[in-house]
Amino acid sequence: MRVVIAEDLALLREGLVALLRENEIDVVAQVGDGPDLLRAIAGHRPDLAIVDVRLPPTFSDEGLRAAIEARRRQPELGVLVLSQYVETAYASELIGENTAGIGYLLKERVGDVRAFLDALQSVAAGGTVLDRQVVTQLLATREGARDVLSSLTGREREVLELMAEGRSNTAIAESLFVTPGAVEKHITSIFAKLDLAACDEDHRRVLAVLAYLRVAR
Amino acid sequence: MSEQAQLPAGVSGGREARSRPWMPTLAQGLSVGEYIRSVMFRLAALIAVLLSAIWALDGQGYFWPAWAWLGLGVPLMLDRTASWAWRHPPGAVRRVACVWALVSVGAVILILTWLLTWLLAGVQTFWPAWALLGLGTAGSAYSLFALHDRVLVAHGRRALRARVEALTRTRTEAVDAQAAELRRIERDLHDGAQARLVALTIQLGRAELRVEREPDLRGLIHDAQREAHRAIAELRDLARGIVPPLLADRGLVAAVGSLAARYGLGTSIRSDTQGRLAPAVERAAYFVIAEALTNTAKHASATRSWVQLSAEPGCLVVVVGDDGRGGADPEGSGLAGLRARVEALDGRLTVLSPVGEGTVLEVGIPCVS
Repeated sequence: MRVVIAEDLALLREGLVALLRENEIDVVAQVGDGPDLLRAIAGHRPDLAIVDVRLPPTFSDEGLRAAIEARRRQPELGVLVLSQYVETAYASELIGENTAGIGYLLKERVGDVRAFLDALQSVAAGGTVLDRQVVTQLLATREGARDVLSSLTGREREVLELMAEGRSNTAIAESLFVTPGAVEKHITSIFAKLDLAACDEDHRRVLAVLAYLRVAR
Repeated sequence: MSEQAQLPAGVSGGREARSRPWMPTLAQGLSVGEYIRSVMFRLAALIAVLLSAIWALDGQGYFWPAWAWLGLGVPLMLDRTASWAWRHPPGAVRRVACVWALVSVGAVILILTWLLTWLLAGVQTFWPAWALLGLGTAGSAYSLFALHDRVLVAHGRRALRARVEALTRTRTEAVDAQAAELRRIERDLHDGAQARLVALTIQLGRAELRVEREPDLRGLIHDAQREAHRAIAELRDLARGIVPPLLADRGLVAAVGSLAARYGLGTSIRSDTQGRLAPAVERAAYFVIAEALTNTAKHASATRSWVQLSAEPGCLVVVVGDDGRGGADPEGSGLAGLRARVEALDGRLTVLSPVGEGTVLEVGIPCVS
């Protein structure tokens, strides 16, 4: 997998690069701002861009805008946006009309290396990965969302958040220290409560959750 | 000398005489008062002329009609000076003008009387001197007494206005400086401690992968990582409390939307504001709404809550309401803090919270949009 990184803080950029290279991911370019990101993408044609939301010169949402522009120019490009905070407003803008190949995670999720690498693979392959905080916020925004959320058990809610992150049933089971069978039961129950038909693929499940949230919004 | 007493009457009569030599009429556009006045002047002039004629026919001698002229001239002078004094604005200034009108009439009478006694009776000493001095002193004393308040108050007012202007300017500067400073602190946190902790979790993650076959070490690293995550989350909340990133990036409406979503109250948000407001105004409005929604979530047991932002000329009006149990204490520490925040921007905050009928908080913040 060929990756471009857009991150202005050297400390984080170097940490990311080291982590990716150790795991046989090819970092083809490291840039510090939006315009350089667009040039690097045009020059290297990577599979994935990892972009910090806050980049110079404005240090507000420069990275998000650059990521949206990068996807407009190159729709097959996977974009994983990292941030110190997540906002559903940004998630909606990033997703736009096309949920394929989108990721939006809190920066500290990188520390959970296996999950992070899974997320990278998933986004590069056209999947959707959303931070569990985004999902919580999306659910909370919905009219009557409290009813839906209160109908989920604590464990079901954890499972839903992990699903939204693009984790497989096995990964969810490992993360929660339960058997894959138990996870499947939770998922079936969640889909029943949210009135969704179950699907096989991870990213489809996220899409279904998203579609449901969008329609209800 | 004869001219002195007669001239004013002559001038007044002559002006009317141009169109109608002997008598003015109301048809000339005069008010009733002016009409009576000009009739009186003509009568005075007529009497003066008649008395002079009688003196001439009577074999002349001591020119006694001069005294009559003086007597007839007094009402005329009073009329002139009174109408001059009345042109001043009501209050102390007009009162002072009236006093000076009387003083000057008195002075003129004294001087003319002295002139007559000098010319007709040969009196040598200037006897009115002390009387004139008294009149002048009395007039000046009265003026000082009547106007000193005014002079002092005007000075005090000017000083006060300058002070208010200075305070307003420096406070605005302080509020703006504070907003900039908070933004800097938030950025320092973001680029400093937060970034460092994220870098730490990345290193810990890498270490964790390398020691997979050593469960003890792996558990240790995992714990360290969890601590780092907690620190990151705490710093994020802290940074959000200083400058909510969405507020800084996208403005009030977006930030309030995100805020309401986090409370999960199903808050409806309406706004007719356009564009961005001053950072200090946005911050104040944001924290008012945040505090109000916190109260709603904690205490109100509400089924419905709403936020309304409206742009009125020169003012942002924020209304936050719920249909909960009401009874909020307007002097409680939370609301008092909000009031201080709003008043620092010359805004106002009102709370309506009848028991059992919900709470509505309204805030108006002056702004130049």
